[in-house]
Amino acid sequence: MINKINFFKKTFVFTTSISFILVLLTFNTFADSIDNQIREISYLLMCPVCQGQTVAESNSELATQMRAIIKQKLEKGESKEEIIAYFVNRYGETILGAPPPKGANWLIWILPALALLFGGAGIAIFLHKSKSEKDKRKTKAIFNEPQVQAESKYLEKLDEELKEFES
Amino acid sequence: MKILSIVTKLSVLLAILLLLSLLGYAIFGNRVFLKSSPIVGQQASDFTLELFNGEKIKLSDIKGKAVLLNFWASWCIPCKDEAPALDAAWKKYKDKPVVFIGLNVWDDKDSALLYLKEFGGEYENGMDPKGEIAVEYGVGGVPETFFIDTSGKIVDKYIGPLTEVIIDYFLGKALSQDHGITKGVN
Repeated sequence: MINKINFFKKTFVFTTSISFILVLLTFNTFADSIDNQIREISYLLMCPVCQGQTVAESNSELATQMRAIIKQKLEKGESKEEIIAYFVNRYGETILGAPPPKGANWLIWILPALALLFGGAGIAIFLHKSKSEKDKRKTKAIFNEPQVQAESKYLEKLDEELKEFES
Repeated sequence: MKILSIVTKLSVLLAILLLLSLLGYAIFGNRVFLKSSPIVGQQASDFTLELFNGEKIKLSDIKGKAVLLNFWASWCIPCKDEAPALDAAWKKYKDKPVVFIGLNVWDDKDSALLYLKEFGGEYENGMDPKGEIAVEYGVGGVPETFFIDTSGKIVDKYIGPLTEVIIDYFLGKALSQDHGITKGVN
């Protein structure tokens, strides 16, 4: 009888401990995931009172309050898109770290690529031009060298003598 | 070689045209339709504010009156600049269907109370300790003032220190419910 009671006691303690650990693990995972989501969202939003800092990076009171609001909204079950839309609806698109690719904003996304393309093409053209001009100058210089000029004089004379000999 | 120089000329021309079009948009773009605050023209979000005197005020309870909602802080120099104008305007409008609400943000209570003692602000004044109302209204600095019409719609947002003329203009608009978008002041 005593053995049976001990067995039940042990089982109860074991089950309770396991349940407790599981609850702790679940809670930790949830807290971790919430923290990661807060960080992810706040990196996408610019702090309205800071110079070039995101809500995640800023220590200003407003940024801290914004992070708390993000947390509240995540805990309520709102999605990342809904939370970002909430801030855009209040602060405008300037709150976004990167402008959404639509309308005139496309220029911001396309211009760097165009600049690279045209800049690269410009550099390639410049290098190609300067190389061909260099080659030209090199060839000219070779033919203008005194040794070459003297050799060509002898060759011309040799040609003339050969022609005379043949005739 | 000639083809290469044409390509170069065309790319330079294209770059110049692109820059000119951007410059043109920046200078002549129709900015009348651009509002700096997306909440202007929308129904004002309801809030309950605990006043410094311990009472509470709920925005939805004062429907039918125009509201001047002023966000301020005790450390803010432009707030001190606008304080006499706000006080004078409140005295002028207190018997009209207009409610002035001062909302202290990013501050501590003692400094706020000291400020009120020194700079007036006899109208409804309270604190937003968690910044929830400030974020709800898209406040990004102080002073910022919202003008709400008698139907509860935000008709204008003014960033910077107010003067009596500015207050008269916007309260006139809020009272007459003339909701045209004003260039350069939103």
